Amino acid sequence: MKIVKDGIRGSNNMFGHTHDEHFSIDCFAYKSKMNHWNPTYKVFLALVTIIMCLVLNNLFVSLFVIMAMTYLIVVKSGLNMREYISVMSIPFTFLLLATLAVGFDFSRHPAGEINMDLGYFYLITSKRSLLEMFRLFIRSYAAVSALQMMTLTTSSSEIISVLKKMHVPVIVIEMMNMIYRYIFILLELNNKMKKSAHARLGYCDFRTACYSFGSIAGNILVVSLKKAETYYNAMEARCYDGEYSFLQENKKTEGVHIAGASVFVAFLLIIWFATK
Amino acid sequence: MIEPILRIRDMEYSYGNGEMALKQVSLDIYKGEKIAVIGSNGAGKSTFFLTTNGVLSPQRGEIIYNGQEINKKNIKELRKNIGIVFQDADNQIIASTVLAEVGFGPMNLKLHKDEVMDRVDEALSYMNLSSFKARPPHYLSGGEKKRVTIADIIAMKPEIIIFDEPLASLDPYNADMLEEILEKLESEQKTLLISTHDIDFAYRWAERLIVFANGRIIADGAPIEIFQNREILRQANLKQPALLEIYESLVENRILEQDDIYPKNVRDLKKLLSNRGTEEKHEKQTD
Repeated sequence: MKIVKDGIRGSNNMFGHTHDEHFSIDCFAYKSKMNHWNPTYKVFLALVTIIMCLVLNNLFVSLFVIMAMTYLIVVKSGLNMREYISVMSIPFTFLLLATLAVGFDFSRHPAGEINMDLGYFYLITSKRSLLEMFRLFIRSYAAVSALQMMTLTTSSSEIISVLKKMHVPVIVIEMMNMIYRYIFILLELNNKMKKSAHARLGYCDFRTACYSFGSIAGNILVVSLKKAETYYNAMEARCYDGEYSFLQENKKTEGVHIAGASVFVAFLLIIWFATK
Repeated sequence: MIEPILRIRDMEYSYGNGEMALKQVSLDIYKGEKIAVIGSNGAGKSTFFLTTNGVLSPQRGEIIYNGQEINKKNIKELRKNIGIVFQDADNQIIASTVLAEVGFGPMNLKLHKDEVMDRVDEALSYMNLSSFKARPPHYLSGGEKKRVTIADIIAMKPEIIIFDEPLASLDPYNADMLEEILEKLESEQKTLLISTHDIDFAYRWAERLIVFANGRIIADGAPIEIFQNREILRQANLKQPALLEIYESLVENRILEQDDIYPKNVRDLKKLLSNRGTEEKHEKQTD
């Protein structure tokens, strides 16, 4: 078993209950030192930053955004640098693979500045397209890191409440809330069933493993249907009448934060002007 | 005469499959009573609770709460005043923070937000959960989850609180804490109904015992009388509490004299035994 390895679980007793096998970035938000910031502020800061990155389309603006977001997450929010890198490595790889298509091209003829003979065709590229690829990569990476800043510091329930304020349809909001709560219950259920299948040699060879997997999936469906009913009963028992209204802690927006965001946006614009 | 707070008459309920889950259930509950509901699995306890709270509507019979007959229109009154703490905390907790979870009930009562906040704060400090406010329920331990579900109900300030097998899946430490909470609620004149399989707990705690078997109430009365009635115990597949059995065998073997006051816990029994010791010494000295 490798339970105590992760910093989040091992070193911090704050979260008594752990889910052995899956590790969720979910709990970063609850541990974050920026958790007490106003959620609407954080969501808007992320949105504005993303829009600036995309609209200004400037390499230096993007680089500055990446630096600023890293600063926020690592210094202000208190996330370990190593954990941050491991979280960001997923979008990093994804974006790298996606932008490769912009930088490189295939051709029958050696038409580019740099050509690589691959027998039937050439892998071609040019300084311009490599630079274009780099710009695109940095731009989208900056946008993603702004988004990560939001998710790593704001709990899902708060993000949902901000969406509610933005008048996203109630049905979507309610489903988001319920799904978010139920993901963890079903994950835990899956975990338990998997363990008990393991205990009975349910994964001894490929065929058996497939069979076990299928049975567990089917079983989870049945159990979740059953749970839905008891769940509804429990909600009705507490006077639920079709409207899902949750209490939310009021987190005031501090003047310093507003000022900080304004300075940040102004700085982005200055960079843009200076390097245009 | 004191009016019962809740009066149930000839209540019947059957699930879709035609099987009767409750048959001719009638009882009166008075304010401040401590009632243990016992009976084997599937005897109808949970169904009884859900109908009492108004979640399931019985096919027959009537429920009168505080002199007011309950119908479709005022069923909310019932849900408002009778709270259920469900057996499995994961089936009850719906919100993604403790604060929102405990606030769910009061919010549904359409109270003002400040009032909701006050009630939630009160319930959380009552259950010693104040530092857990912003925590999501999936990072809580079993005992903590249970406490959250109790805070859920306390925040709604019901007159009657029903606990559906609260002791199941609690470790001894948390079980002790639960009993402390029950004592606290009792001192506030709340009416408490607890279903349990823990016979010793029921004997120790309850003032009144209701025994379910096959959807019927087969006995309703003082715990000591019911636990001495072998016929009822046999029908409901129950055993005698260990303490009662010990006491009876002590009496049988003439170590203790039969008394009207039965010992309810180990401390009482020890007291009886030590009293007897001093009496004997006393007798010897007078001889």
